[in-house]
Amino acid sequence: MSAYIEDLDAALIAKAVKEGSISALEVAQASLDAIDKRDPQIHAFIQVTPELALKAAQDIDNARAQGKELPPLAGVPIAFKDNMHLIGSRTTCASHMLENYESVFTATAVQRMLDAGCVPVGKLNMDEFAFGSSTESSYFGHTCNPYDIERVPGGSSGGSAAAVASGMVPLTLGSDTGGSIRQPASFCGVVGFKPTYGMVSRYGIVAFGSSLDQVGPFGRSVHDVALAMNALAGRDERDCTSQPWNIDFTADLNSGVEGMKIGIVSSLNNAEGVEAEVVDAINKAAQNLTAAGAELVEVELPHAAAAIAAYYVLAPCEAFSNLARFDGVRYGHRPNDARDLADMTSRARAEGFGPEVKRRIMLGAHLLASGVYDKYYYPAQQVRALITEDYKKAYEQVDAILMPTSPHTAFKFGELSNPTQMYLSDMFTISLNIAGNAGISVPVGFGSASGLPIGAQLIGPAFQDHKLLRIAASLEASYEATQCAPGFTKKGGLLS
Amino acid sequence: MKELEEVLKDWEPVIGLECHTELTTLQTKMFCGCRLSHDDEPNTNVCPVCLGMPGALPAPNKAAIQSIVLAGLATNCEIMKRSMFYRKNYFYPDMAKNFQTTQGPIAFCMGGWLDLEVTGAAARERYDDGTLTPGPEGGYIAHVGITRIHMEEDAAKMIHVGGIDGRIDGADHSLIDYNRCGTPLIELVTEPDLRSPEEARLFMEKLRQIFLTLGISDCSLESGSMRCDGNISLRRRGTKKFGTKTELKNINSFKSLHDGLEYEIRRQAEVLEEGGIVYQETRHWETSTKRTLVMRTKETADDYRFFPEPDLAPYDLSEEFIEDVRSRLPELPDARRDRYAQSFGIKRSDAAQIAGDPDVAKFFEAAMEGKDIKLARSVANVILNDLAGYLNAEGKTVATMSITPAQVASLADLLATDAITSSQGREVFQAMAETGKDPAAIVDERGMRQVSDLSALEPVVESVLEACPDQVAQYKGGNTKVIGYLVGQCMKASKGNGNPKLFNQLLSQKLG
Repeated sequence: MSAYIEDLDAALIAKAVKEGSISALEVAQASLDAIDKRDPQIHAFIQVTPELALKAAQDIDNARAQGKELPPLAGVPIAFKDNMHLIGSRTTCASHMLENYESVFTATAVQRMLDAGCVPVGKLNMDEFAFGSSTESSYFGHTCNPYDIERVPGGSSGGSAAAVASGMVPLTLGSDTGGSIRQPASFCGVVGFKPTYGMVSRYGIVAFGSSLDQVGPFGRSVHDVALAMNALAGRDERDCTSQPWNIDFTADLNSGVEGMKIGIVSSLNNAEGVEAEVVDAINKAAQNLTAAGAELVEVELPHAAAAIAAYYVLAPCEAFSNLARFDGVRYGHRPNDARDLADMTSRARAEGFGPEVKRRIMLGAHLLASGVYDKYYYPAQQVRALITEDYKKAYEQVDAILMPTSPHTAFKFGELSNPTQMYLSDMFTISLNIAGNAGISVPVGFGSASGLPIGAQLIGPAFQDHKLLRIAASLEASYEATQCAPGFTKKGGLLS
Repeated sequence: MKELEEVLKDWEPVIGLECHTELTTLQTKMFCGCRLSHDDEPNTNVCPVCLGMPGALPAPNKAAIQSIVLAGLATNCEIMKRSMFYRKNYFYPDMAKNFQTTQGPIAFCMGGWLDLEVTGAAARERYDDGTLTPGPEGGYIAHVGITRIHMEEDAAKMIHVGGIDGRIDGADHSLIDYNRCGTPLIELVTEPDLRSPEEARLFMEKLRQIFLTLGISDCSLESGSMRCDGNISLRRRGTKKFGTKTELKNINSFKSLHDGLEYEIRRQAEVLEEGGIVYQETRHWETSTKRTLVMRTKETADDYRFFPEPDLAPYDLSEEFIEDVRSRLPELPDARRDRYAQSFGIKRSDAAQIAGDPDVAKFFEAAMEGKDIKLARSVANVILNDLAGYLNAEGKTVATMSITPAQVASLADLLATDAITSSQGREVFQAMAETGKDPAAIVDERGMRQVSDLSALEPVVESVLEACPDQVAQYKGGNTKVIGYLVGQCMKASKGNGNPKLFNQLLSQKLG
């Protein structure tokens, strides 16, 4: 039987599996088939895990046969960014350094999705160690944007976005340090959510910038993302920055935005470098929210412009230290003919890391050096405090702020070859990680000039993630339901 | 090189200590749940966290925080309500993450002090410029500031194979045992307030006594669970500016600490007097040759790129937490010493010795349980002489021996009531230690009760006086000291069983 899952979102699959109109095994096989057929073109996956998938699916079908109650996302295929540990799979971080690294434990976030019944079909491509905004720096080659395979899917969680957009899986996890969930979601026309820092455990996610990293879901609907958050959120004793949290993110999802205030930062939206079609799409989104009953309020984020500068101090400092453990001693790439310890360590790193990783490590090493530290690290922390304060003040006036996710739509491979240019493309996403707040990218149609997906970013105060999802659901409802990219959609499929 | 005494006339030594103590009495490591035990098979007490696997995160051990707060309270530190962990970045395989998690400018404990009573020969190592605070039993009091005590994690143990003396240079491979990696470690840093090797030694001894009393570590310098580095420089007497310091490492005994510092003082004085330069360097104390050798120079200062550990939020200690720890603070050695001296009437120096070791103190108090205070001196004597000598000779400790407090109390009682002589006491102690029998039984068995029956002693005195006419004549001629010899003869004649005090009395009567 030929099976398609591209038109099924996670909620539908879980419902169908629970009702027995489809088996988890059928769904898993459909997802694996879709990967077989489509991934040679997209290259979203670094590793496909059919054995893990079929075993998990069989377990669900067995449980159902025994009359056991199924978990909320039972049978939903899921794939994980390849910086997340899953026992039985390699965790490569898209790096030569960890090319053969077998996960020795399962990340808390991954385990929570598995506990919720998700079926793991594989590990997804990314920028090497999550350093990048295009997935071009992966050691295993780039991922293509399903809307235009000449273009990048965004990054660093490019594989996570492309896999959903091309209908291979309905749900994926990514990680977001400076926009790595929201920007690829925007480029690939799917929903990508970065929860408040501390909402989801980071245990088992290979760290990039520990004070900025946050795990979050990709899906084709806000509802799917909310379902994933139900599984993900909450305290983990293994990550002491995680917070206790127990809330049903779907409860108020359809309650609308009547009477809510949505902030607009005109100076940012109309900043230099923001494409006209993006500005238009955001204005349209704002109108839609007004039509749904929300009030637009002009707010200011006076220090937002400094966010990129602060980020490119703080993130490399943390990355430099986080990546120090890759020395070839206990795991990872190691030269066979090293002369001595120093030679082994330096060559393991010289050979194991790609250019962008080395650039960030060197940047961090320099910024933390004595004499330099005081000039950069402290001011960056001060900027961080100011930006956090900016947001606090803004959220005294509004429930959320609407802005573009990215100043432009997906660019072509090699188009942003200058690192600084690439860094600047994160201008709308980075300040959120600096402040630790939540943000979501919702598809708001296609560029009038480019025809490519555009994402609107909604951002909200810390630990009001459920409210942010509610506003996002309202915005989403004003557009046609998100489909897979053209050429990857197949009306009909399993349930017909 | 000049002798220390000579050097001190012109130079003032300035010494500061850095003392690392592993919190060996805890169950688990600092940032993971691995068992704390270094003796197990290598690399068996390890997990993703202490092996620095990618994606692993630290979770602080609350019991370790309690221990460091105890240490801070016991050394008069201020306990900081908010402190932060920092990363100290350096590449070496003994630290799996290639950074050590330690603390930043603000540690859990800041700004404490300890007072040292420096007496006897130890006091002579300090040049007396007339400003010293006199001690209660002579000597002086040295007030030593404590800069801070911070929390950190220990590194793994490395063994270099194929080189010379286990050094990495020339080794063909190295083995790493990560069992020790992540062991909770507290580092205490003193102000540069110490002025003599003896003060440094006394400080370390006192610190060890306090930590043992707190029960936070086994404090073994030999096994390395307590380690100490000394920073030492000289300055011309009367000047204020610090000289260039050297750092002394590889100190595995109190004696090494003292001798190493003394050597450095004399060496630096010689260098300076010959117009040379003391380089800032780390030096290694070599016990076998009794000298310090350069380990590494600090011309290229290490840059550890310290920055706040982002995986650990700033650590907040509540008032309740601190007060809870304070309420568990045991009686500290100084207070215990004073109590023993006052309520048991034993000598202050004896009281200090007993109070300094919590096991000995416990043993002493158990022996005195329900006993008359008058017995205390005798119990203290048995403990500090017979027992200490025995443990030393046998290489045992109070914790590992089989002698009970009741046995010691009973022996002390026999001695205090003159039932046996002190030489018999030593014999009984030995027999008691070997056989485990009670002192009274040993005394009975060996028929060694001290004879205090005058009718039995008189004939002995008579016969000795008869046998020693010369000594009798000397005594009568005014040399009364000769009575000691006559008592000795009486003891000999009574096979050691006679009461020497009564012999003395009888002899005095008969000769008088």
